[in-house]
Amino acid sequence: MNPYASMIITSSLIMGPLLTVSSNHWILAWTGLEISTLAIIPLIAKQHHPRAIEAATKYFLTQATASTLILFSSIMNAWTLGQWDITQMSNNTSCIVLTTALAIKLGLAPFHFWLPEVLQGTTTMTALILTTWQKLAPLSLLVMTSQSLNTPLMLALGLTSALTGGWYGLNQTQLRKIMASSSIAHLGWMTTILTLSPKLTLLTFYTYTIMTSTTFLMIKTLETNMMSVMMTSWTKLPTLNTMMMLTLMSLAGLPPLTGFMPKWLILQELTKQHMFIMATAMALISLLSLFFYLRISYYTTITLPPNSTNYLQQWRHKTNKKPYLAMMTMLSVTLLPITPTLLTIP
Amino acid sequence: MMYFMFLFGFCFVFWMVGVSCNPSPYYGVLSLVLGAASGCGVLVGMGGSFMSLVLFLIYLGGMLVVFAYSSALVAEPYPVGWGSLGGLVYVVGFVLLVSGLVIMGSFLYGVEGFGEATADGVGLYVIRLDFSGVSWFYYYGSVMFLISGWGLLLTLFVVLEMVRGLSCGTLHSI
Repeated sequence: MNPYASMIITSSLIMGPLLTVSSNHWILAWTGLEISTLAIIPLIAKQHHPRAIEAATKYFLTQATASTLILFSSIMNAWTLGQWDITQMSNNTSCIVLTTALAIKLGLAPFHFWLPEVLQGTTTMTALILTTWQKLAPLSLLVMTSQSLNTPLMLALGLTSALTGGWYGLNQTQLRKIMASSSIAHLGWMTTILTLSPKLTLLTFYTYTIMTSTTFLMIKTLETNMMSVMMTSWTKLPTLNTMMMLTLMSLAGLPPLTGFMPKWLILQELTKQHMFIMATAMALISLLSLFFYLRISYYTTITLPPNSTNYLQQWRHKTNKKPYLAMMTMLSVTLLPITPTLLTIP
Repeated sequence: MMYFMFLFGFCFVFWMVGVSCNPSPYYGVLSLVLGAASGCGVLVGMGGSFMSLVLFLIYLGGMLVVFAYSSALVAEPYPVGWGSLGGLVYVVGFVLLVSGLVIMGSFLYGVEGFGEATADGVGLYVIRLDFSGVSWFYYYGSVMFLISGWGLLLTLFVVLEMVRGLSCGTLHSI
């Protein structure tokens, strides 16, 4: 890409969600969302093959619709209440329209259909940006308006998303689609606890970001995107293989890894609010996600290595090692014992 | 005079519906021109004459010309308009949809008092809101102005990046 264009696009990509997160006025929040949408479109379509263009088109259409709905809900709120403050959304209709809009933006079920196809159509690093950085702005809007939002609607969205994420990933062998379904499921957990404890939503988001970043960086280091190729990639970096399994189990939410922490705290909060059936349902539904994480771990780490190979080896190119991958892996695997410290993060 | 306001308002909604329900982008852009002109008429009736002039000049004279050239890039040799039966079904359907929504909206929000509010100052306080609003943009709203300008610059570069590459790029017809 032209360096000037690349500079403007990258700085806008950083600036967009930061504008939304730091805003108190709906217009500024909407502007930040639009800037982040526009800035990532050329990154999705960077390779210019038809699948990437299709992914960029799908992303643009869904996000533009959601931005329009956000604008509509904020204008409706301003019309009835006379003020544009994000934290004072008292009009019920605009709250419901806003929830729908943010669900489309985040990729919650039943508006999740764009996410796997957009992630599959683009490169690994752009998929990483799409699942982590781009979720920051809509999630911050949800947290800022969480006291006005409808709890049963949030619970319904969360349960459906966890179910859809788990079920969708069961039939996938492409790693980017698996990560998309992991994103849908984790966002489901985040919206479940949103109205009850927004702090836990943010904590889940932070841990999810670290774990997903680690997984994507590992996928990028192994230079593969299919489960079939990843099975025989352990010869490239054997240590990475072990860490891959631990990171995937952390994403699944198994103790004693980091991913267990948000799920544990969410289930505790749900039981404190006497929502026992919801807590049991969420815990059981996350078993679906566990299955496909376990399947990848089984085929990559547990079965074949480290033994003498009697299958066709992959070409071992110069591995582009990422120096921060080790730190991210440690964060995504070993944070459970310091849960009380992490609870102090606002 | 009220009839003039009603006419401008009705034309605005009708031509905007025409934009969305047109089978061909050529006629859609034409419909957009007429709709934007009717919108300018509505603005004049509300007392925002300066706003209306700015809208006409910048939107119609500048951006809409760009829309027209962009729509000419997605050229169809035989564009379908409203003359055929298929186009007419579109129009009737959309007009029914819009009028249905307006009726439902009137139950929720009420449509009395339409056309009463204007942007003029009254009495001794003679600051015109639309003129002075532009100066407010540069002083009180300077940060938002900068961010909006940055957004427009970003849009320019994004669009240039997306259509770059002649026939190897995104738009195969260039």
